Amino acid sequence: MAYAIFGSMIVLLLIGFPMMIPLLMGALIGFIALFGGFGQLDTMVQQILAGIRPASLIAVPMFIFAADIMTRGQSANRLIDLVMAFVGHIRGGLAISTATACTLFGAVSGSTQATVVAVGGPLRPRMLKAGYNDSFVLALIINASDIAFLIPPSIGMIIYGVVSGTSISELFIAGIGPGLLILVLFSIYSYIYALRNNVPTEPKASWAERVAALRRALWPLGFPLIIVGGIYGGIFSPTEAAAACVLYALFLEMVVFREMNLRQLYQTAKSTGLITAVVFILVGAGAAFSYVISFAQIPQAILGGIGIDSMGPYGVLFTISIAFFIGCMFVDPIVVILILVPIFAPVVNSVGLDPVLVGTIITLQVAIGSATPPFGCDIFTAIAIFKRPYAEVVRGTPPFIIMLLGVSVALIFFPQIALFLRDLAFAK
Amino acid sequence: DTWRYAFEEAMEEVQGKYAQKFKEEVEANSDHEVQLFPFGTLGESADIMEQAQSGILQFVDQSPGFTGALIPEAQVFFVPYLLPADQDQLVSFFRNSKAIHELFPPLYAEQGLELLTMFPEGEVMMTTTEAVASPEDLNEVKFRVMTNPLLVESYKAFGATPTPLPWGEVYGALQTGIIQGQENPAFFIESTKMYEVTDHLTRAGHNNFTTAVMANKEFFDGLSDEDKTVIQNATAAAFDYIIEYQTGLTEESVEKIQAAKPEMTVTTLTEEQRAPFKATAEAVEAKFLEIGGSQAQAILDQMKADLAAAAGG
Amino acid sequence: MTLHDKPAAIPEMISATDDDIDDSRYVSGLPGPLGVIDVVIARIEAVLLALGVLLMALNTMANVVGRYLLGESIFFSEELNQALIILITFAGISYAARHGRHIRMSAFFDAAPFPLRKTMMVAIAAITAAMMFLLSWYSFDYLMAQMGRGRLLPALQIPQWWIIVWVPLGFLLTGLQYALTAIKNLIDRDVWLSTSVIEGYDDSTEEEV
Ligand code: NA
Ligand code: NA
Repeated sequence: MAYAIFGSMIVLLLIGFPMMIPLLMGALIGFIALFGGFGQLDTMVQQILAGIRPASLIAVPMFIFAADIMTRGQSANRLIDLVMAFVGHIRGGLAISTATACTLFGAVSGSTQATVVAVGGPLRPRMLKAGYNDSFVLALIINASDIAFLIPPSIGMIIYGVVSGTSISELFIAGIGPGLLILVLFSIYSYIYALRNNVPTEPKASWAERVAALRRALWPLGFPLIIVGGIYGGIFSPTEAAAACVLYALFLEMVVFREMNLRQLYQTAKSTGLITAVVFILVGAGAAFSYVISFAQIPQAILGGIGIDSMGPYGVLFTISIAFFIGCMFVDPIVVILILVPIFAPVVNSVGLDPVLVGTIITLQVAIGSATPPFGCDIFTAIAIFKRPYAEVVRGTPPFIIMLLGVSVALIFFPQIALFLRDLAFAK
Repeated sequence: DTWRYAFEEAMEEVQGKYAQKFKEEVEANSDHEVQLFPFGTLGESADIMEQAQSGILQFVDQSPGFTGALIPEAQVFFVPYLLPADQDQLVSFFRNSKAIHELFPPLYAEQGLELLTMFPEGEVMMTTTEAVASPEDLNEVKFRVMTNPLLVESYKAFGATPTPLPWGEVYGALQTGIIQGQENPAFFIESTKMYEVTDHLTRAGHNNFTTAVMANKEFFDGLSDEDKTVIQNATAAAFDYIIEYQTGLTEESVEKIQAAKPEMTVTTLTEEQRAPFKATAEAVEAKFLEIGGSQAQAILDQMKADLAAAAGG
Repeated sequence: MTLHDKPAAIPEMISATDDDIDDSRYVSGLPGPLGVIDVVIARIEAVLLALGVLLMALNTMANVVGRYLLGESIFFSEELNQALIILITFAGISYAARHGRHIRMSAFFDAAPFPLRKTMMVAIAAITAAMMFLLSWYSFDYLMAQMGRGRLLPALQIPQWWIIVWVPLGFLLTGLQYALTAIKNLIDRDVWLSTSVIEGYDDSTEEEV
């Protein structure tokens, strides 16, 4: 049954159905098969609602809203002008800055989707203007956003820590090394890309120009202050920081810069609502589909037959990586962690793997999975926000996915990438 | 047949241990298979409860605090200092309580559920960033509680600022300082690593976390007498097992916490220190009578009678 | 994905405001009084979307203000946000269907010859409509079950079904949009993505009729 469901989902997707249909159809076939008819479709509806209900998802529409206000007004441009005054003359500087911004923003917000929106929204038009190809830009934004999973706070690591009984503090620290390594790789790739595609550089800005850019950006610099200071300073939860950004953006654009009137506010709010709905119905449909997979115990069935108990540590790590990678291609990452971690826990213990290393590798796979076709949530967020075709959004992703997979293989053979900082901090 | 059983905790936590024993007993004494679904694999607490009501799941474990949204009387378990701190009295109460065995089942039946058993999961403790010895120490402390009106009332009465937060955000919020405290049974504080982001563990003895196992009523009523007996025996065996399992679990969890974080202070409040906390119970009791549904008074009175009996026996 | 889509829009043309939907220019594909009703519904959906988002921002900030300035959290804040996100999602899926904004992978579709595209669009719209009607029915069923159970929202202490009343309605209206799209594709010679949008991903080729 599992293969029939996965197969029909991919066919429906390729034919050109609205993307919610393959997911809903997968769930529907599953419910009918599991319960012998339409009798339990109430629960399918329940699961759709359960998917869109989590409180932490509220950060997504809030960051969409804030980013839209900033982009329509002056805040976003003034901030980017400031960055460009410092890096505009460097080959690939804008791309590297974008990757860095995604990492920083993702780190604090904890949401990859919010990062796609909040950083990608304002920076994509500038990158296109600067001469980068759209597929490269989209792939860079989507994949750099995923570093958010690895850098604390990370909801994926918290869930893993709870399910596997691993120290969450140690996991948080172990994620930093691989996260930064990925950022470095992406930066190098951006530099090479810019070099090979002759992306023009801007003349180096003088210090006077830089000071002028800084002055223009003084008000908008409140945003990083609200997000970074507010969250790490213990004033806001990420969701609240998002709402604070909305109000601050409204204050700047309606009162300080006077770029936005009430009518535009209405249009912006409506547009945010529309994008939110289009993304959230997919999240809900994905949750209903995840339920079928979980209820039918499909992962247990598949993994039961491959003899993981007789593998050595490397075999186990590879199997875990592949299982999570494939799982996250179709199913919500949190659910994948909840289902798969207990299945692997006994064998992880018996071959003596460090659960912190396993957690880091799993978190990385989850990050990769959510940026990977066919059903990565970052992909459909990018499609909804940027209104670009599916094929174009995913076309540029292979080099990034190869780099990410490279890091996961490196982690398996050189665990110190993750564990070095942990051992240092916890004196192990 | 394959019977499905979902619960609110991970496999190796108390509800999971109970479920594993229940599964073992059923499978040993019948041809039925029991599939277990831990926390989150089929949705949150309210979701699995609804699935048990609609018959997708045959068994579900939900704590009365959550069931309070459906059966308001179940919130009685959040009235502070109602349950005894003494373990023997507590066990005797759960074994013999007329409230649990006679008054609650019809209330669950109205919701399409057969109440199989209720059992304690362990003493609820506070973990905070500042030491707590009196209600004054909780002043201005933003304390995370489950969204339940009685818990909110309790912590308001204790002097704290009760702050609702989704469970997934609690660890991060303690780390950054949005909140400064939370409460849970010791095993849960240990397994969810709450001690990593707080510095003081306080035992005020105000409650023992209770949970309930139920079956879908239509399913249960449709079973042969033989199968019903299998389930009842498995329920009883798992109850005995979980009581046994818990002997020392609380102290063990506290020791694990101290081993993992030696600088964590553990304070058991004296009777004298508990007095001002206990004084607040009356206000919460009044709140329970107000929002606890039509049977609130009857349940509370019976509970008190049962508890007096447990203390006497 | 080896097939190429339409070339990217010229960068200078990309800005958020280009994508705004002007509701006053929305013309229903339905005749007579049905058309009037449709236009009114479209407008209500738009207002609900905007209000939902604004209320969500205010509610979340009010909770922060309450916590720091008044020393009191707003207990129902999270439940109110849940209600709003359900409202936004289910008002929005219908609005998105109306304006052809649901996400789809159109690479193969776009490469197909015209008659095949037309046939596919009829099938896609009809099957999507059927799925939406099915879910509308079962979400109504779920709504009724929740009413019967009488579950309360713990903080607000109001029945939980109040916040899900939009669900069957949202699926129903979305189903109607797709059903009408199927019909429009059958009777009109063009390929329609929704009743008001001619097929094509790039906004520059979309026409609001
Ligand atoms: Na993060
Ligand atoms: Na994915």
